[in-house]
Amino acid sequence: MTPLQFESQHAAAWQELETALTPPSGKRKPTPADRARIAALYRAACEQLAIAESRSYPVWLIERLEALTSRGHQLIYRQGDFGIDNLRRLFLVDFPRAVRAHRLQVLIALAAFAGPLLVIGVLCYLDPSAILSLQDAGSVEQYEGMYGDPDGPIGRRNADSDWAMFGFYIRNNIGIAFQCFAGGLFFGVGSLFALIFNGAAIGSTAGYLTWRGFGANFYPFVITHGAFELSGIVLAGAAGLLLGHALLVPGRRSRLAALEEAARGAIVIVYGMTAMFAIAALLEAFWSSARWVPASVKIGVGAACWVAVTAYFLFQGRARRASGEAP
Amino acid sequence: MPAPPSAAESRLDTRYAVETPEGIALWLRPAGVVPRFYAYLVDVAIRFLFFSISFVFLSLLGTFGEGLALVLFFLLEWLYPVAFELSSGAATPGKRLLDLTVVMDSGLPITPAASLTRNLLRAADFLPSLYAFGLLSMLFRHDFKRLGDLAAGTLVVHAPRAELLRGTPPAAPARAPAVPLTARAQAAVIAWAGRVTRLTDARADELAEIAVPVVVPRAMGGDRVAALVGVAHWLLGRR
Repeated sequence: MTPLQFESQHAAAWQELETALTPPSGKRKPTPADRARIAALYRAACEQLAIAESRSYPVWLIERLEALTSRGHQLIYRQGDFGIDNLRRLFLVDFPRAVRAHRLQVLIALAAFAGPLLVIGVLCYLDPSAILSLQDAGSVEQYEGMYGDPDGPIGRRNADSDWAMFGFYIRNNIGIAFQCFAGGLFFGVGSLFALIFNGAAIGSTAGYLTWRGFGANFYPFVITHGAFELSGIVLAGAAGLLLGHALLVPGRRSRLAALEEAARGAIVIVYGMTAMFAIAALLEAFWSSARWVPASVKIGVGAACWVAVTAYFLFQGRARRASGEAP
Repeated sequence: MPAPPSAAESRLDTRYAVETPEGIALWLRPAGVVPRFYAYLVDVAIRFLFFSISFVFLSLLGTFGEGLALVLFFLLEWLYPVAFELSSGAATPGKRLLDLTVVMDSGLPITPAASLTRNLLRAADFLPSLYAFGLLSMLFRHDFKRLGDLAAGTLVVHAPRAELLRGTPPAAPARAPAVPLTARAQAAVIAWAGRVTRLTDARADELAEIAVPVVVPRAMGGDRVAALVGVAHWLLGRR
């Protein structure tokens, strides 16, 4: 068979596939019958490409078929299902499971964050001038207004509104968390640094404010959103350490293969961690700073949040033993 | 099947083959630093314009608008590429302008997890400043992956073009070859005829001189190029 015969024999099918692959601007959803037809045309085009190549047909034929099949491949193998079920499964099962599966990295991240937090906190409580070696005098001075003022909202300068602060928490805190994750790509060093640095900064602030006698304002403010924010930053670091760990100890795989596999696990933690930061931003902007909520209520709700978050990571999404199958 | 590239060829050629379940090879053409840089510039400009215009309107809403503006900034900064990569074109507007798309390195369409991974790890690519690590990684690899692409297993490729009619030989009267040609020889003549329009006359004639004595010895004196193009037409099926 000559190339021209081959082309004219199949031209109609190729044309049909080409139009099917470029949907009209009306964006009509393809029916199941359309999809079956596209799949059949695609498989036929693949077969014809193989034939054309084995017979060394001219380049325009092969390139046309290559373009056609590669576009068909993209369409047919597209994963169209980002549905609500997947999202539910992510938060009910996959996220807490991923955290438990990588408990080594989570515990290292926790130590790297909570260790400096406690040590520096106690240090700054005993010797408040130590905070000046971690933070500049200007921001320390601002704490007076943020936590010392008995009337205005807690934890911010008076001029800032709830909404503006919500935007700030989203942009700033989640941005920092993402960077903390990305830093893991440098053998985990970036994530470790971010964890230690943030732990030390938070510890020094807490220690200083306690010494200053603002504890009654500060702790009710941080306890509620802290349940989500502090565990969120630990998880962001853990996700980063997962990447770093894969690069340092790839086991019996190449470092690149180990990294790709670790990233697939880490991204599940990143999904969950981002949601936790969003919750934390909502709470911090609209609940934690509110004066109309008595401190005792905040402590109670905050403690409940801590219990809930801990229980979520320990128990949520475990396979039920009685039925013996995954929920 | 085209012959697999030799070691020396594959060191130069950045084309990248993946096999599909249908048993054919998809040829991906990874995009290098320069087109991706231009695409990035376009995306930065689009985001900047979009944010500036929204900011003007949002600032009319007072502090509520200020908060929304910050959320919008966050979304544009981190999730703008993810949203576009998961839409049907699998590329941001900047990449679309330069005909690039993002795919998995298995040739499959990009997954949500991979898209988020590669875009969050942008922060690592950006270090120590101005995408220096990303640039180094792209320059050292022949598939031009930046660090985020390495972890996510993704590739930025030149999109396959739909209209391609290159390699059609110019018009000439068809004539039969004097001897039966092997499949390889037929392919060579057809490929040469497809390139004739892009060669200088002298070079086309020089190449024709190699084939004509065997293929159409009667045309030795006349226009060798036209004679050989005629043979190509005959081989293609115009008889």
